Amino acid sequence: MKSLLKTFLRNRKAAIGLSIVLVYVVIAIAAPLIAQYDPLGRVGRPHQAPSADHWLGTTRMGRDVFSQLIYGTRNSLMVGLLAGFIVTAIGTTIGITAAYFGGKVDDVLNFMTNVVLVLPQLPLLLVLAAFLGQVSPLAIALIIGVTSWAWGARVTRAQALSLKTRDYIQASEMIGEPAWRMILVEMLPNLLSIIGFNFIGSVIFTIITQATLEFLGLGSPLTLSWGAMLYNAQNASAIIVGAWWEILAPCGAIVFIGVGLSLMNFGVDEIANPRMRSLGQVAKALKLERRLNRQRMQEANQ
Amino acid sequence: MNFLLKRLAFYLVAFLVAATFNFVIPRMLPGNPADIMLANANVAMGPAAREALMATFGFVDAPLHEQYFSYLKSIFTWDFGVSVKFFPVPVTDMLMQALPWTLFLTGAALLVSFSVGTLLGILAAWRRGTMIDVIASPTALALQSIPSVVVALCGLYFLGVSNKVFPTSYAFDPKLDPAWSFEFIASVAYHGFLPVLTLSMVLVGGYLVTMRNNMIGQLGEDYIYMGEAKGLSDARVRYTYAARNALLPSVTSLALSFGALFGGSLVTEVVFNYPGVGNLLYLGIVGRDFPLIQGQLLIMTLAMLIANFAVDLAYVFLDPRLKRA
Repeated sequence: MKSLLKTFLRNRKAAIGLSIVLVYVVIAIAAPLIAQYDPLGRVGRPHQAPSADHWLGTTRMGRDVFSQLIYGTRNSLMVGLLAGFIVTAIGTTIGITAAYFGGKVDDVLNFMTNVVLVLPQLPLLLVLAAFLGQVSPLAIALIIGVTSWAWGARVTRAQALSLKTRDYIQASEMIGEPAWRMILVEMLPNLLSIIGFNFIGSVIFTIITQATLEFLGLGSPLTLSWGAMLYNAQNASAIIVGAWWEILAPCGAIVFIGVGLSLMNFGVDEIANPRMRSLGQVAKALKLERRLNRQRMQEANQ
Repeated sequence: MNFLLKRLAFYLVAFLVAATFNFVIPRMLPGNPADIMLANANVAMGPAAREALMATFGFVDAPLHEQYFSYLKSIFTWDFGVSVKFFPVPVTDMLMQALPWTLFLTGAALLVSFSVGTLLGILAAWRRGTMIDVIASPTALALQSIPSVVVALCGLYFLGVSNKVFPTSYAFDPKLDPAWSFEFIASVAYHGFLPVLTLSMVLVGGYLVTMRNNMIGQLGEDYIYMGEAKGLSDARVRYTYAARNALLPSVTSLALSFGALFGGSLVTEVVFNYPGVGNLLYLGIVGRDFPLIQGQLLIMTLAMLIANFAVDLAYVFLDPRLKRA
């Protein structure tokens, strides 16, 4: 576990990504210490531009945008992590089960996965959320969690299938290891990178989708979240009256965490597939190899 | 041929699942669904509307399976009920009016982002480790993690409101009458530019990264070295050898990206007040117009499935082995 972390941190992209995400986590935990104002209180005049008193200005209701942003971080991170966990748990279970047992089980599970994959996700979520009325962040996490596992199931299945043909798996099977041990001890650890990739990707997806659902008016407008901020700003015609801070602040928060998480994912991918690396020594080695090849070819031609 | 028939059967099942979903969800709510829907709707409604609403969701006096079949029958006869908010306009009429705009928007964005993303991906893989790769690949990845709401709102603010370069709403100048005139088409292009641009921005990253990774996989193959050894030009090896084969998995991921495409267009239309299905859906959500909301899910599903089928066709063309399979 320790060496895994070390490999992860040695990758520059992963390290930068992780630091960005950690900043968000600290902000979420220390929110009451960082925010100077009550995020839902009327603490200034409407639509004040950013100033020393209100670092990111105020909303039409006279609420402090910076404080809202800080408290919104809690919400978005929690929903992201919870939904990410659900998505990964369902996707991994279905993917490995399908790959390991094969046959009829695989047919059924794979069919299910493919059907879910071709259904339009956002409209589906919208229908669910609309029937539930104004949904709480927890409900958003749940409905995203139970509808978004298909992609993860598909990639996990593919990876597990290729794993199944390895010698060590077939050897353990011949020794007569029980199915649970095969899955949990032999296969799962070797699927960690794909599971991690899936988890981080799902967190990004959830944060984006939560913001979208709330922006479209399906969340509760009293929630403190980046999506609710966008919704309220849109309702207050913030763009048209030129209150850019009200829009750009939550946008920035979403973009940066997205970048941080995807850098982490890029790192995971590069560790799992060294061929994908683009920077540093690999590039140098590649260039050298190509030059050598060309030289050899020229020599051979002469 | 067999392959395509199988796919068609699969899409039929997928559509049935979406329809069943629409049928089941309102029945899982406690109490009388029609009353809940009416209570949630932010408009006053007469008994006629209530009646129509009940009929839309198949709430007829009959056992459950008969309700289901009568519901399916109305779906397959292209009858999605009448709108509650714009009573008594049929939902299909409203959707059909909006659909061309959404198709125009998604089609244009798909064309732009897929070609730009794929080309850049080819170059990034070919010149791996050089400037283009080091800049383009992480940027693409970052773009992928930015939601379309953010891109659209920023585009609207910077190019529509603070610098009035592009219009901020509608699909064409309302003063013009729709016609195949140069003026009208120019107006449509002008109004469509910003929505298409934002939608493409969201999508381009995914195509770039996929193509780059596929390309890198191909570049290590023997046939590439053979092409080079034969003395073919770089461009020929790059495009007709490596890219043609790398395109195959890229097309598969194209199908997977349709969800993001349609989801993105939903949001983009709302932000730019573009008269497509997404904007209609937004009106439906604001007014809790359930027939409209479920109608758009069915339409979107249908669009997704047709798009997927088009990818299947492209796949057969790109991979001739499938024709024989």
